Amino acid sequence: MKIVVAYAWAPDPQEASVGADGQVDFSRAKPVVSEYDAVAIEVGRQLATATSSALVGISVGGPATGTPVATKAALSRGLDEVMVASDAALADAGTTRTAQGLAAMVQRLGDVSVVLTGDSSVDSGSRMMPPVLAGLLGWPVLSDVQKVSVTADGVTVERLLREGVQQVSVTGPVVLALASDATQPKAPGMKDVLAAGKKPVTKLEVADLGPAVAEGTVVSTAKLTGPARKGIVINTADPAAAAAELVGALRAAGVIGSTGGQA
Amino acid sequence: MSAYVVVAGDAGITEVINAAVKVGGPVTAIVVGSADLAQQVAAPGVDRVVWLGDPGDKPIEAYAPAVGALVVAAPAPVLSGRKPAERVLLGGAAAALQAPVVSSPMDVRSDNGQTVVEHGVFGGIALRTTAYDGPVAIVLDGGAAVNGGGSAAVEQAAASATTSMTVTSLQPNTATAADLGSASLVVGVGRGLKAQADLPIVEALATAMGAELGCSRPVAEGLEWLPRDRYVGISGQQIAPEVYVMVGISGALQHMGGCRGAQLIVSINTDKDAPVVSQSDYVLTGDLYSLVPAITAALS
Ligand SMILES: Cc1cc2nc3c(=O)[nH]c(=O)nc-3n(C[C@H](O)[C@H](O)[C@H](O)COP(=O)(O)OP(=O)(O)OC[C@H]3O[C@@H](n4cnc5c(N)ncnc54)[C@H](O)[C@@H]3O)c2cc1C
Repeated sequence: MKIVVAYAWAPDPQEASVGADGQVDFSRAKPVVSEYDAVAIEVGRQLATATSSALVGISVGGPATGTPVATKAALSRGLDEVMVASDAALADAGTTRTAQGLAAMVQRLGDVSVVLTGDSSVDSGSRMMPPVLAGLLGWPVLSDVQKVSVTADGVTVERLLREGVQQVSVTGPVVLALASDATQPKAPGMKDVLAAGKKPVTKLEVADLGPAVAEGTVVSTAKLTGPARKGIVINTADPAAAAAELVGALRAAGVIGSTGGQA
Repeated sequence: MSAYVVVAGDAGITEVINAAVKVGGPVTAIVVGSADLAQQVAAPGVDRVVWLGDPGDKPIEAYAPAVGALVVAAPAPVLSGRKPAERVLLGGAAAALQAPVVSSPMDVRSDNGQTVVEHGVFGGIALRTTAYDGPVAIVLDGGAAVNGGGSAAVEQAAASATTSMTVTSLQPNTATAADLGSASLVVGVGRGLKAQADLPIVEALATAMGAELGCSRPVAEGLEWLPRDRYVGISGQQIAPEVYVMVGISGALQHMGGCRGAQLIVSINTDKDAPVVSQSDYVLTGDLYSLVPAITAALS
């Protein structure tokens, strides 16, 4: 049996720069294993060890995804092997195209019991990839998973939802998106990094992923223009004076009432 | 043109219907949930309600293939809110249609047979306008609840859930849902707070202002100091208050994506270079432990 973790090798958009025309430049942002995907790898490691399964990482992305730096970073977190498709044609791939590539990998691997993902990726963050991936595989999918345990014919899952704590039993293969706090991933140690260099990496070509799905056509890009902020710095040397100045300003703006509380 | 709205156990879909109407009618709502919910969804703007059934002991997510089968029979753009089960049903539709997915639209329109979406990219750092020739899956903040009042009759469809998933227990959450979205004043607290035991310092400020208490994601998920429906951001609550006071929150873009609509932002942070500083109207650089009690005192 194999347990699969889908992960993204992506830069933090916080480090990107946006031009006046809305073009996003990631050239100075360093890609990493997307923050929450490290949680999925860690949970996958625990499940794979408990069930003597192989833990396989899969990733679809731009050219950086296939570099040794990227695959070693993912492997050092506890994966046994990785399968990647990295190509310039996939750099700006949307959710559905990415999910299609990941689905092709799961099918190629075969004998997969669970596909784990993080809560959301650092670059898009829409949390739509796991549902689309599951739909393409014809598998069920659950998000916001806090705990997973493997049963004789599937898994049981605990989810923390607005409605409450829900337990679900699943038979057969399933896609699970883990909650951001399902576990606390450890930083890889020196031994993990050294071992990562010796683990297998399988590379697929774009052609192996099936015909590309339609993506939209970008008509225009623009810089995000939020409300202009005043940027008034209040001197805080004397906290009481600073507080009085702030409260005075908010009252003058009419947003809080003169006796405190709402206007 | 026509459009689908996917409904997953929750009537909070006002914005989804509004966007679907802009994509172009007739609008068909596909509902998984109670019979009552199906009636509620028959609201203005909805031309047809197709009710797939009450999930019973199945998670709503078990209906994703049924939703996919329905939309693929007559392909059109599909829209939903962004709660967990809504995303899964929408994903089932996107997979069946092999349709691209777009999230956080600022505007949606139909133009010469294309669906044109203006949306944020990369967590909302820039804007893009994208045109789609065929069906597209659009995920957005659902908004307020609808409650009938439209003219559509509820049709029941013969759909079945995936049998491989069963809900074996639910410990209901009895806490009343926080309503940050419509609050006119919000005080948010972040990891700058050193311990849960110190929360009363920030709560006192919120009480003195008459504000709702919000937080950053790690304070709710991970630290679990506050309920999850109180964190602000692209993955949490979207707020648009008159004043948002950010206490010990660094201002990560995923957080700021949830409070761009705030009229005034006040930040209290020890770090004068924190990202939030350049996005504030009033900047108080210093220790929250002395500044917050001082502001509370100044209010009373
Ligand atoms: C895909 C994705 C989605 C995410 N979605 C969200 C989301 O929806 N919402 C969200 O909030 N986050 C989200 N995050 C997390 C986000 O990136 C940040 O990690 C998070 O917002 C940081 O929370 P924070 O500001 O409380 O903590 P930190 O970034 O640790 O900031 C703490 C701040 O407190 C200040 N401070 C410390 N001590 C004091 C003191 N005594 N007095 C005053 N100030 C002090 C520090 O200078 C610092 O600026 C997401 C991340 C990812 C990858």
